[in-house]
Amino acid sequence: MLTRRLLIIAPAVIILILLQSYFWVPSYEQQTRGNPDRLVQYITASAGDASILNPILSADTASSQIQSQVFDSLIDRDKDLHFRGRLALSWDIYEEAFFHMNPTAAVPGLSSSDPESVAGLIRSAAQTPGRWSGAVAESLANIQAVTILPSRTFSATHAFKGPEGAQQVDAQISAPARVRLVLNRVDQDLFKNLEPLLGAEYFSSFPSDAFLSTDVDLPPEQLSVLAESMVPAVEHNPIIVFHLRPGVRFHDGHVFDAGDVKFTYEAIMNPKNLSPRVADYEPVKAVEVIDPLTVKITYKRLYSPAIGTWGMGILPEHLLNPRALREEAERLDKDPATFTLRQSRFGRNPVGCGPFRFTSWKSDQYIRLTRFGDYWEGPPNYTQYAVRIIPDPLTQEMEFYAGTIDSYQVQPHQVARLSEDARFQNFSGISFGYTYIGYNMRRAPFKDPRVRKALGMAIDVDKIIRYVLHGQGERITGPFVKQTGYYNHDISPLPYDPEGALELLESAGWRRNASGWLEKDGRRLAFTLITNSGNQLRQAILAVAQDAWKKIGVDVRTDLLEWSVFIQERVNKLDFDALILGWQMGIDPDLYQIWHSSQTGPYQLNFVGFENKEADDLIIKIRQEYDHRKQVAYCHRLHRIIAEAQPYNFLYVRKWTAVLDKRIVIREQGPDGSPVYRKITPTKTGDYAYDFNKWIKLPGVPVFAQDG
Amino acid sequence: MISFIGRSAVQKMITLFFVSIVSFLIIHLAPGKPSQVDPMNPKFTPEMVERFRSEFHLDKPLTIQYLYFYRDLFTGRTVSWKDNQSVLLKIWERFLNSLPLFIVGTILTWTLSFPVGIRSALQRGGNFDRSSTFLAYLLISIPGFFFAYVLIIFVVTQFQVPVIGMETFGIGSTSPMTRFMDRIWHLLLPSVLGATAGIAVLSRYVRSQMLEVEGQDYVRTARAKGLPPDQVHYKHALRNALLPFVTMFGLILPGLIGGSVITESIFSWPGMGRMAYEAILARDYPVILTVNFISAVLVLIGTFISDLLYLVVDPRIRL
Amino acid sequence: MSSATHSQTASPGDVIETPLGPTRSRFQQFWVLFRRNSLAVSGLAIFGLFFFTAVVGLLVTSGTQPLLDPAQVRLQEKLKPPLSRPNLDTLRPGEVPPLGVYLFGTDNLGRDVFARMLQGAWVSLTVGFVAVGISVVIGIFLGGIAGYFGQAAIRVDHMLPAFLLLFGVAAWIAGAKGSAIVLMGLGSGVVIVSIAAQKIWRKRPMPVFLNALRFPVLTADTLIMRLVDIMLCFPSFFLILTVVALLPASLYNIMIVIGLTSWMGTTRFVRAEFLSLREQDFVLAARALGIRTYRIIFRQMMPNAIAPVLVSATIGIASAILTEAGLSFLGFGVPPPHATWGNILSGGKDFIFDAPWLTFVPGIAILIVVLSFNLFGEGLRDALNPKLRERH
Repeated sequence: MLTRRLLIIAPAVIILILLQSYFWVPSYEQQTRGNPDRLVQYITASAGDASILNPILSADTASSQIQSQVFDSLIDRDKDLHFRGRLALSWDIYEEAFFHMNPTAAVPGLSSSDPESVAGLIRSAAQTPGRWSGAVAESLANIQAVTILPSRTFSATHAFKGPEGAQQVDAQISAPARVRLVLNRVDQDLFKNLEPLLGAEYFSSFPSDAFLSTDVDLPPEQLSVLAESMVPAVEHNPIIVFHLRPGVRFHDGHVFDAGDVKFTYEAIMNPKNLSPRVADYEPVKAVEVIDPLTVKITYKRLYSPAIGTWGMGILPEHLLNPRALREEAERLDKDPATFTLRQSRFGRNPVGCGPFRFTSWKSDQYIRLTRFGDYWEGPPNYTQYAVRIIPDPLTQEMEFYAGTIDSYQVQPHQVARLSEDARFQNFSGISFGYTYIGYNMRRAPFKDPRVRKALGMAIDVDKIIRYVLHGQGERITGPFVKQTGYYNHDISPLPYDPEGALELLESAGWRRNASGWLEKDGRRLAFTLITNSGNQLRQAILAVAQDAWKKIGVDVRTDLLEWSVFIQERVNKLDFDALILGWQMGIDPDLYQIWHSSQTGPYQLNFVGFENKEADDLIIKIRQEYDHRKQVAYCHRLHRIIAEAQPYNFLYVRKWTAVLDKRIVIREQGPDGSPVYRKITPTKTGDYAYDFNKWIKLPGVPVFAQDG
Repeated sequence: MISFIGRSAVQKMITLFFVSIVSFLIIHLAPGKPSQVDPMNPKFTPEMVERFRSEFHLDKPLTIQYLYFYRDLFTGRTVSWKDNQSVLLKIWERFLNSLPLFIVGTILTWTLSFPVGIRSALQRGGNFDRSSTFLAYLLISIPGFFFAYVLIIFVVTQFQVPVIGMETFGIGSTSPMTRFMDRIWHLLLPSVLGATAGIAVLSRYVRSQMLEVEGQDYVRTARAKGLPPDQVHYKHALRNALLPFVTMFGLILPGLIGGSVITESIFSWPGMGRMAYEAILARDYPVILTVNFISAVLVLIGTFISDLLYLVVDPRIRL
Repeated sequence: MSSATHSQTASPGDVIETPLGPTRSRFQQFWVLFRRNSLAVSGLAIFGLFFFTAVVGLLVTSGTQPLLDPAQVRLQEKLKPPLSRPNLDTLRPGEVPPLGVYLFGTDNLGRDVFARMLQGAWVSLTVGFVAVGISVVIGIFLGGIAGYFGQAAIRVDHMLPAFLLLFGVAAWIAGAKGSAIVLMGLGSGVVIVSIAAQKIWRKRPMPVFLNALRFPVLTADTLIMRLVDIMLCFPSFFLILTVVALLPASLYNIMIVIGLTSWMGTTRFVRAEFLSLREQDFVLAARALGIRTYRIIFRQMMPNAIAPVLVSATIGIASAILTEAGLSFLGFGVPPPHATWGNILSGGKDFIFDAPWLTFVPGIAILIVVLSFNLFGEGLRDALNPKLRERH
């Protein structure tokens, strides 16, 4: 019977065809042996796909991983986390400071306070700083030039929120003359130190309101706010001048110059682009192109993290300027008015001046880059760079074993097994993020620092690190990145001491009742600890903390919430008792958004409600200080204040471990032109990919040059 | 016939309209809002949220949002909130990736279930029937991802060959034949996984259809005439038993867009299912709604075709 | 309603034979057939065992001082293989497992997998039963209405206010309060007008414009079957995933969502059964005797329609357990502290090389239980199917 035979033969044939394909597939060994191309490709994996490959628009890790290869920035950080020039050869930082003449204040030793004589006084003092003591002398010696700017009148329109909603007011301003001081270096104490010279009240008694008249009557406090912004008594304008590297080209051959830097800034600030980086560049007052290789950035106020923001990839102006965008919009038949960088095909076909040029991107599959031969630092050894998108960690692991991924971020419990495997080399370091338990300090039991501290002492964090993280973590005591100098290593972490915790709680009025629960004034110490679902470690900590607290008689309920519900409904609305969360930190020590008392409202990041006068001062000082040494001193103090208040129980920073095939090494040109191989070694800060451009995969493990 | 088609089309349009409303409401009334930029990013400001809200029309009343969405969908201008790409293009690209999986899976399902189902029906109660019944239920009962991991780990640790993704990554410079076979190999495991449940269900269905037909009078008559058993089974019985399966062709259609979320994320297969899943995670409403809408359209077209086929095939039904 | 003209009642003159009841009860008949299917019987046995385990599991793992504490974290005892003994030196007295051995090993937090499996058995069972319960109740209700009252027409004056009120509520939820009030006002207006119209024009013929209100639009059957069609348009796992992902994670949400998305099959079965049953003699007889409608439905028809429902419910429980496992894998399953087999399995897969038992114990347990449900359901179907029955 034909039908019968067909019914049996058809599936058999199909299964045979499918199965025989096995013989064509390369195994782990064959991939590098039979396919020399594989040796010059670096393949890595990411759990999520990139969103958009435009450095000013993206905010996810997958995108930034690609962008760091495609785009180059003015500066980056070297092995010791100090700034190092990339597209910028060098840079100067100085300051211009201004103050308005105060007609109401009398200057000691001067009969008339006209601009000339005040400027003269400062000028002469600056030439003989020795007559003054310590800090004042330092500030005076720092003054390089004193000039006078004449008085001026102008008008401005100001929008404000009045009782009847948004209103506008026209202001007439007739500002007095100003004195401009050019300083050699940024000096946040300048005006404080000029006070002995000009009189203690000279700056603080400046009557801003007197120079302003408005067409609508404003409430007095709004008027003075407006006046102070229009006619400030004093003003700091820090300035960074970047000297750019000559002869750098974009991947399309166009020469990089100062115009591209200015364009990148303008693209970020353009409200149509909805750049998530606006906040970083908001303090910039002006970006001026001095000449094609010099760009001057003037800031509105003291803001020391500013320099770090220039680690941002530089966009090619010639491809994205308004004219180019309009042409693209017309070509695609879209409305040019709403066509922005977000719609441009540049976001999926980026052009930068980094070591690799963009080749292709298949959504949720891979992104491929090819070596850029004209890279200013010399082309990388690898000719291909690929990121594969593999969401499942176990699948990533399988692909690593199958040899189709070159590096793999190891899960903590696998470290022991994989670090013994002879096929791999492994690296580890501590990461920039920490995990904490945060308490809502607005709510009753957590108002008392003793309670927060006691709760922290009841948890055996070392045990969490040893068992939950499998040793892949370190304790942390405060909000700064542990590898940096800002972190105060003199502070010791909370000890694990349940007995001590009970004593502390007793001193705060909490006693154990007959059934073992802690009570104060007849009320149990009961609260809910929440965290987001989908994070194994936080879930584990949730269980451990609940268990540990139950043992000292705290009645804890726990709740796991889906991420967006957790953030939008609970954290942003300040509706929680205690939560487990983590912060990913930048190297920069600016803590304003997370710790300043002005940031405690709903939707702000100081959601635990930490308020401390001295901490506020220090936070402001740190972000205004350009001197690294002083910044470090302030940071150490701030670290101590926060550690003592324990608004968070700081738990740990995680260690990461990466494994690579042993055959991946550093290849450099020896003095005689022959290749020299070195083992990959991580930097002091744990960055093993610092020399990535010199990496290469070899068919076998080579003989290494002696490390000097 | 014409009136049936017309009536059916109108009915399906109305259904589609309600489907569009229901899916829109489900997504927009659920708690939690889409977040374009990670809200825990310290660089994130409430003003940005506001700007995104107005960009996505989220500040408008639901009815207006509904109209905006379907206007954009029908003019092909819907863009994903996540990456500003055209949703239809995205879906098309993913559809092309899911297609080979779907085709191989379907072929496996249909070619394997018939011989198995027929044989177990013919040997009802015999060893083959019992073991194939048991096996079919075993396959239905395994949690898919558990089975997938067991298979992957077995293959990778035993043979050290890659199985994840659509092809061996970095295989670039080999011969086209090798690359083709490599692709086939990568299709094997996910399509087998996708087909297991289908094979089990369909073979059971074939079996019961066969049993039913074998009990009919005309089959008994054929047998009584002394025809050889093969001819009775494969000519008389099978033909009639096949009748309902013809109509099932229409019902395959929705499978085109369904894809399996779980298989695709385990095998990092960039197909429809995974796109939909990631859209759900990112709350990329336009993508979720469009996928939903298209799959509803396919379901309706599928049932329509199957109704039509039924009309054509079964002479007993006349309108 | 058609009157019961078709029913043949015995005329008084005829000789009434003594009724011959069936020699075996329906259940006995079923059991004889069912017993022949050894796979189904073993399925039933495992089902019973699972049920027993789940109840025992509930008893020993719940309460404030459970016998086996599935939430007891012993970090120093993490990832111990099955049958290993606890290290008594590092454990406090309260932490020692009462069995003196980790029967199924421990997980990454040192929790006893055996205790978690016991607890999970009950949770998985509840997820299955409640979800299927919801879907069966909805299915029987809607299917019953469609099948029994299906031909009753829904008129314009039913539809119009219902739609207006519905849209009003929708608009209210959507935040358009103004239009919501207008819509709801209109809706109530139409109701009042049509009731008033009925009162006023009871005797006289109605004017045309009001008669239009009484125009029958569609039948209840059409309405319900269209609703089924709408629900069937959604890819079911995708729909469940969407809703579960958007809603806050909770055990109840998952049960409800699975239940609310799987009632369509039952509705169709019940409708089909009711459609054929309501034309059968015993129902017509009952109706002719003036037995009240709900009694006819629940006492006469339901027992006859229940068989396919029972089969699909049994298989439905199996698929609900699998769905829950799938959701757990994607990270949207039942949230802790509830352990389910699904989340033990998906939590264990990251440790598959270092602790394979975390994957295999729950994986195989799910496999066996789901298999037993399926085999039992299949046996049930065979035994209840009259077509297949008569040939044995």
